[in-house]
Amino acid sequence: MRILLVEDEAPLRETLAARLRREGYAVDAAADGEEGLYLGREVPFDVAIIDLGLPKMSGMELITTLREEGARYPVLILTARTSWQDKVEGLKTGADDYLVKPFHVEELLARLNALVRRATGWSKPVLECGPMVLDTTAQTVTVNAKAIDLTSYEYKVLEYLMLHAGELVSKADLTEHIYQQDFDRDSNVLEVFIGRLRRKLDPDGEIKPIETVRGRGYRFAIPRSE
Amino acid sequence: MRIGSMSLTARVALSAILALVAFLGLTGYALERAFYDSAVRAMQDRLRSHIHAYLSGSDVSVAGELILPEVSPDPRFDIPHSGLYAAVVGGKNRWRSSSAIGLDLPLKTELARNEERFIGPMDTTSGKVYVESMGIAWEVPNGQPLPLTFHVVEDDSHLRGQLQVFRRTLWIWLTIAAVLVVAVLLTALRWSLMPLKRVERDVARIERGSLELLADDYPSELRTLTHSINDFIDSEREQRIRNRHRMGDLAHSLKTPLAVIRNALENPVESAALEGVVAEQVRRMDDIVAYQLSRAGTAGHTTFSAPVAVSGVAEELVGSLEKVHATRNILCEFELSPDACFFGDRGDLMEILGNVLDNAFKWAERRVLLSTRSIKGRRRDGLEIQVEDDGAGIDAVTMERLLQRGVRGDERVEGHGLGLAIVDNLIRDYRGELLVSNSTTLGGACFQLRFPPLN
Repeated sequence: MRILLVEDEAPLRETLAARLRREGYAVDAAADGEEGLYLGREVPFDVAIIDLGLPKMSGMELITTLREEGARYPVLILTARTSWQDKVEGLKTGADDYLVKPFHVEELLARLNALVRRATGWSKPVLECGPMVLDTTAQTVTVNAKAIDLTSYEYKVLEYLMLHAGELVSKADLTEHIYQQDFDRDSNVLEVFIGRLRRKLDPDGEIKPIETVRGRGYRFAIPRSE
Repeated sequence: MRIGSMSLTARVALSAILALVAFLGLTGYALERAFYDSAVRAMQDRLRSHIHAYLSGSDVSVAGELILPEVSPDPRFDIPHSGLYAAVVGGKNRWRSSSAIGLDLPLKTELARNEERFIGPMDTTSGKVYVESMGIAWEVPNGQPLPLTFHVVEDDSHLRGQLQVFRRTLWIWLTIAAVLVVAVLLTALRWSLMPLKRVERDVARIERGSLELLADDYPSELRTLTHSINDFIDSEREQRIRNRHRMGDLAHSLKTPLAVIRNALENPVESAALEGVVAEQVRRMDDIVAYQLSRAGTAGHTTFSAPVAVSGVAEELVGSLEKVHATRNILCEFELSPDACFFGDRGDLMEILGNVLDNAFKWAERRVLLSTRSIKGRRRDGLEIQVEDDGAGIDAVTMERLLQRGVRGDERVEGHGLGLAIVDNLIRDYRGELLVSNSTTLGGACFQLRFPPLN
């Protein structure tokens, strides 16, 4: 998942970015509203965390502008203000959830997880496609109730594909949403991941969860059970 | 002086005097008119009776000549230019009283039989005159009836004199009446405005601190005003006390967690235990700050506030809450009375309703019901808001603990107890009450917020 983090308070931004990366997110961090707007325009994010009190351009303005320009990804606002008036105003400008500072990182992760799921049309934290079950909270995968051991990158690729089950996902989409900006975007690496995933999920070639659309990308082929 | 800044006394006095002048002027004019009319009528009667006197004393000779009485009905007919004149015309008869000799008077008209005419005032060379004329036909034995016209003329000197006397008397008395009425009016005005002066004096005393509140014995018209002033003074005083307490509350409530942390630092324990203590106290301090901040941001009860329609605020909040709780598909139903208004700060209403609705959304299975009702009041209507959900409901022990400061109903749901404590305090600021029970319609919790009417 690629995430936009706009927060002016450096210590909070850095610890938060580090934690999010540990959790498997690809993080683009911005220190002010203008930088946030630049990134928000250029990069296809899956979710954004935007602080309301930002230098150069306020969080509200940033969200309004991004929404006006057609950004559809969910936005979570961070605010030190606790009043409902502020919360309601923030949500009215186009944010999808709010979190009041100070907050527990676990709470933030749970909210982000829920926002991403909601945006892709899943209402429960456990994604079910036929025999395959992916628990986004525990980050575990089972096939026919048998736990599958995946590396962090393998899990992320699978999660992205399953969240968009039934849709065509290009290689560029996958690299953009999963890797950090400075990651080497060699598509061979991706092919290697997909190959390994196929072997781990479907060693006997019976369920064929991931199909290759030649020249265009991949599609998670098992329909959603939800 | 601008009209807008004119004193009340001047306004009432000026308008009363204007009305009085107009009224007395019209009265005087009408009375004068009536007196003049009746004086003229009396003159006509007098002149007519002179004609009758001439008629009864006259005779007609066989030759058809009129023989007038030897003694005139009024001696003035015999005094030249006396102001009272008589004349008879008809046939070959031409007669004038001795008083009219040498004067140019309109005495030549002949009238038909039984015709009577009264003309005046008429301008002549001898001044303004009034003329009474009467046409008769004198029966002559064995002959044609002799047509005769009798004229009696009087000048206006007598009438003028009468009018002058009347006018003088009339205006003297009207002026006296006017002075008396104005005096009574001004006295009444002073007397009526005395309570206002008293309010002014008492407010000045309150400012100086020598009086607590305005008394209760003002005239009924002023009581609404004095009650409002008293409410205003009350709420201002409360606000001052609240502000003073808030700072103290914040400082004191932060001392306990600080003391716990210091104690843990001074008495060496395992680092894991210390971490737990610090984390717990940080959470407490966070709650305290959030709570006090929310209190500082609220406006609280105010005497004069525009009504805020509950429906608008509720719709905004439910729109936001549905967004935040989107995956849970909770349906929030409204049963709003159209005249239900909150008299106070919009932000406060949003805070109250936001916390209660958020709570309901957190606990609800599928449904939340928001209903409002206005309570009739004489000076200002009250408001009842009810928020119900179809969640698990609240047991008696939790219900009791729920409203205590910062005590949470359920540790797993963030900010639960804190939000309600904020709501409870806010409602108290508005002199209302928060009742917690279980919903009979939906089966979950039921929060009732009641803001009393103002009577």
